[in-house]
Amino acid sequence: METISKSIKKKDHDSKVSGRALYVDDYVMDGMLYGRLLRSSKAKARISNIIIPELPDGYLVVDNHDIPGENCVQIILADMPVFAEETVEFVGDPILMVVGPDFKEVERILQRIVVLYEELIPIFDMCKSEMVFFNYNYAKGDFDKALEEADHVFEETFRTGHQEHAYIETQGIIAYPNCGRMVISGSMQCPYYVHTAVTKALGYDAKDVQIIQETTGGGFGGKEDFPSILACQTAAAALKADRPVKVIFERREDIAFTSKRHPSVCTYKVAVKDGMITGMGIDVILNGGAYTTLSPVVLQRAMICSSGVYKIDNLQVAGRSVKTNTIPNGAFRGFGSPQTIFAIEMMMDHVAGKLGIESLEFREKHMVKKGDATATSGKYYFHVPLPEMIQRIDELTDYRAKRKLYQQQEGRYRKGIGLALFLHGCGFTGSAEGELIKPVVRIRKTTNDKVEILTGNTDMGQGLKTTFSKIVAETLDISNEQVLIENPDTARVPDSGPTVASRSIMTVGAMLQRAAGKLKQIWQTGEEQIIEENYVAPEFMIPFALQEFRGDAYPTYSWAVNAIEVEIDTLTAESKILGAWGIYDVGVPIDLNIIQGQMQGGFLQGIGYASIEQIDYNAQGIIRNNNFSDYIIPTAMDVPNLVTKIINNPYSHGPYGAKGAGELPMVGAAPAYVEAMENALGVCLNKAPFTMADTMWVLQEVLNNG
Amino acid sequence: MVRFILNGTEVGSTALANERLLDVLRNEFRLSGVKCGCKEGECGACAVILDGRLANSCMVALGSIEGSNVLTIEGYRTTERFAVLNKAYAIVSAVQCGFCIPGMILASECILARNPNPSEAEIQTGISGNLCRCTGYKAIVAAIDTAAKEGQGLW
Amino acid sequence: MVNNYQPRSLQEALNILANESAIPYSGGTDLMKKPDENATYLFLNKVPEMKNIVEDMNYIRIGALCTFTDIIESKMTPSMLKEAASFVAAPAIRNFGTVGGNICNGSPKADCALIFFVTDSKLRLVSKRGERVVPIAEFYLGRNHTILQKDELLVEILMNKTGLDNYYFKKVGARKALTMSRVSFAAILNVKDGKITQCMTAFGAVGDVILRRKEIDEMLIGRTILEAKAVRENYLAAYKQAIHPVQGRVSAEYKKAVCMNLLDDFLDSKGI
Repeated sequence: METISKSIKKKDHDSKVSGRALYVDDYVMDGMLYGRLLRSSKAKARISNIIIPELPDGYLVVDNHDIPGENCVQIILADMPVFAEETVEFVGDPILMVVGPDFKEVERILQRIVVLYEELIPIFDMCKSEMVFFNYNYAKGDFDKALEEADHVFEETFRTGHQEHAYIETQGIIAYPNCGRMVISGSMQCPYYVHTAVTKALGYDAKDVQIIQETTGGGFGGKEDFPSILACQTAAAALKADRPVKVIFERREDIAFTSKRHPSVCTYKVAVKDGMITGMGIDVILNGGAYTTLSPVVLQRAMICSSGVYKIDNLQVAGRSVKTNTIPNGAFRGFGSPQTIFAIEMMMDHVAGKLGIESLEFREKHMVKKGDATATSGKYYFHVPLPEMIQRIDELTDYRAKRKLYQQQEGRYRKGIGLALFLHGCGFTGSAEGELIKPVVRIRKTTNDKVEILTGNTDMGQGLKTTFSKIVAETLDISNEQVLIENPDTARVPDSGPTVASRSIMTVGAMLQRAAGKLKQIWQTGEEQIIEENYVAPEFMIPFALQEFRGDAYPTYSWAVNAIEVEIDTLTAESKILGAWGIYDVGVPIDLNIIQGQMQGGFLQGIGYASIEQIDYNAQGIIRNNNFSDYIIPTAMDVPNLVTKIINNPYSHGPYGAKGAGELPMVGAAPAYVEAMENALGVCLNKAPFTMADTMWVLQEVLNNG
Repeated sequence: MVRFILNGTEVGSTALANERLLDVLRNEFRLSGVKCGCKEGECGACAVILDGRLANSCMVALGSIEGSNVLTIEGYRTTERFAVLNKAYAIVSAVQCGFCIPGMILASECILARNPNPSEAEIQTGISGNLCRCTGYKAIVAAIDTAAKEGQGLW
Repeated sequence: MVNNYQPRSLQEALNILANESAIPYSGGTDLMKKPDENATYLFLNKVPEMKNIVEDMNYIRIGALCTFTDIIESKMTPSMLKEAASFVAAPAIRNFGTVGGNICNGSPKADCALIFFVTDSKLRLVSKRGERVVPIAEFYLGRNHTILQKDELLVEILMNKTGLDNYYFKKVGARKALTMSRVSFAAILNVKDGKITQCMTAFGAVGDVILRRKEIDEMLIGRTILEAKAVRENYLAAYKQAIHPVQGRVSAEYKKAVCMNLLDDFLDSKGI
């Protein structure tokens, strides 16, 4: 184990464990008003009239007329309005906000507002939608030739559903005007994203908007783009009221009306010759929901990793993100890769089955190695540790033996074991770091020789305050206590890019390491010294051409293997998870406990995605299961046997050898789980989540009918 | 006026009887350590110890606690038992975003108060009403197990 | 305007109910999901007469204000009831949710209500006007709709003392804790001198009301195991007809399949 990996007490442990840490709802300001959003009850309609009752003193309504800048939320495109104008595009589309001093009165007023709609025809089925937000395709080699020459061609379609982040702290923002500036504080992952959006909506100069991240109770991508929307709305309200305004979402509101993981439909066509795959044609459809938000980048990543960990020389990938009149989907840990990794792993498993070859054996034959080309004609420049990870997981779980054993079962309880091999591209897709984000970090040595880290990156539980501090402390050879790091405030910190894409430690951490290294050279006791550091693209990277999807999409990849063992009660279709094992390569863990915590949490979140989490839309485009009774996530009793192991595989261009870690554990749980269910049930499956009801259907229809 | 004992002190609240204890604690008594996660008794973020038992304060009406004993994280964190749990949670870095943690700590106390040497399964059952989205629960279970071993005699 | 009462005795509670439109509040774990700020609540949690568990000649008498935790920790409650109570939600809900609330909410998913149903328990309903003891099967008029009058309180549940050891209970939920029943099934079969003396079954979460069909169960009573085996198919067919799960978020086909599977397994386990 590397020295830096040795776990330390987290920097924010004391404040959080004691209950002293303050989250956005814990702040109360003088004269603060409360806001609640009125939202569309129709999935697609024209607003013909809004009838607002007489408002008591001190209460006001804020809508699209109160946006001094542009009535749009700048995410990638700016197609989403801050407040709806003429039409509403999904149930929940915000129309206005009611603001006032008493929360209950605000709610009463909200109930009395009448919106008259002229209903239009919504589209809910992503496969039937013709409104394409984004459309990409890329290819390498000659897939058509591979098809012609094939012994076998297999085709199958896989589906994945929505997933709700279910952070335990709901969305929340406070906005308050302060001497001509607008200050926003809240639960968020990306203060500078919020800054961009609010500046545009208010029409302010950049210096007049200040964004402060408060201690954030979980994000998982759900607080990457969404807070920008709420911040614009709350800022407009604060501006109109000329008072602080706080908006905290109720849980039902949060589940029903905030961004989710993009559902997917992926079709794979596989050409096989002499027992090996010679070509693959992949078609990816993502359900973007009502507005574009982050769909282009989610689609890009989904497409780039759609051939998984396999060497496919003849590849054709097409993808599109379509509009439906449902919740605009956004970022969620994995960001497109859980969807296509599910599909590729299941497809490989099914093709193996059809060829009569053992699933893992078949996959091992196709795994990439160092030096191989990536799907986008980049390169795997570094060691790919899959073989040793597979060996290790087989030792831990007895996977190979059990897989065979479970193929022939009788009796009430049927066991199954599944395995997934996967990767996650570290950092932002393509050349965005250097061309778009251009991150900057600063470290400031104080006159009493403390070193403050100044970045725009946020700790949302993943331990960033601790890992960043460790990198700086280790480089400067000072104690961790000497390193200071606060929640970012755009008035004080540079834009070091968003806290997304598993980039924080690898990219920003590397910049902090360089900055600390420079400070070490020029360290002057008792003097204030500031070092600023810019991004340097790894020199080995082939620049990524987005139009063609060609080049190195990522500098490197993190790798993992998951195995899940289940036991199905054929009487009730309940499935119990007997064990869930994951082996992970994140380069070098900057703090072993922190990385273990990320792997365990992500793995369980992935298991939820695979088995019990689903969003239930009714025929009117309303989410029915908008509460924690009906949108269910795993409890402490659900996966009692969760085992995660971290290997050491230093990345030469990461700080102390670290690579991206945050999203990796989410990516492979679904295929591991669904393959286990296949093994237990003896059928091929192609959807996630694969629920109890799905299991019963298989038991009844397929097995009972012979 | 509903009178009760809050973190060892006799207090009174003039809030409405059907007000949630969660809201009374946060708004009237400014105890921000009691978190709101769902207001439906489904997540445990608002957990307090009421008359010696773990309760979801969002599911307790003020009018039902006349004369009762309410303990929140603010009261609990001064105790020796908390110190043991604190250390145990720190060693395994069981605190990630922290939002579930005050409720989780009180749930930990309730497990150990009833059973000073719980099995892993008993610990998992004891925190089964406290949702955590960050940790996967493993480190939390390990922390409670460590606290049980280190805190011999305290519970 | 007074909007709450905290009676210290049953008499006090009944007097209030006789004169006021007040909503009985026992554990709060259901009511507080949607508190009504205009309602008057009658807080019963300090009424001692409703919290006892006693045994008399014929019955185990369980106070309606007993919490699920009280049921689990009591030495007097039958194992079957303890098991059902232990699967309710999670510790914090079990500590304050009550068996009285579990019954009076009128939900077909109620875990303890299922056990009371299958054991043909009786409910003692009391008002200032007097009291009545009704079989639990007569208590429910429909989903969330009971015969409880506005001035009445469910004070006690009377469970038969004997014959509760040989039970079968299964709660099917989507996860291992904090889960409502997707389907639940409870059954008792007792054999004496080679003949079946008791056969009682009940299904929860499949209709508007917990399903109990005494007349179908009677098909097996008085028979030997072998004779019962002979009518097994008829018995199952009768239930297949009787069970009409409501199509909700969980498919009706799924629920029906599980019901029949569990019933089948119950018979198997008894050698029928």
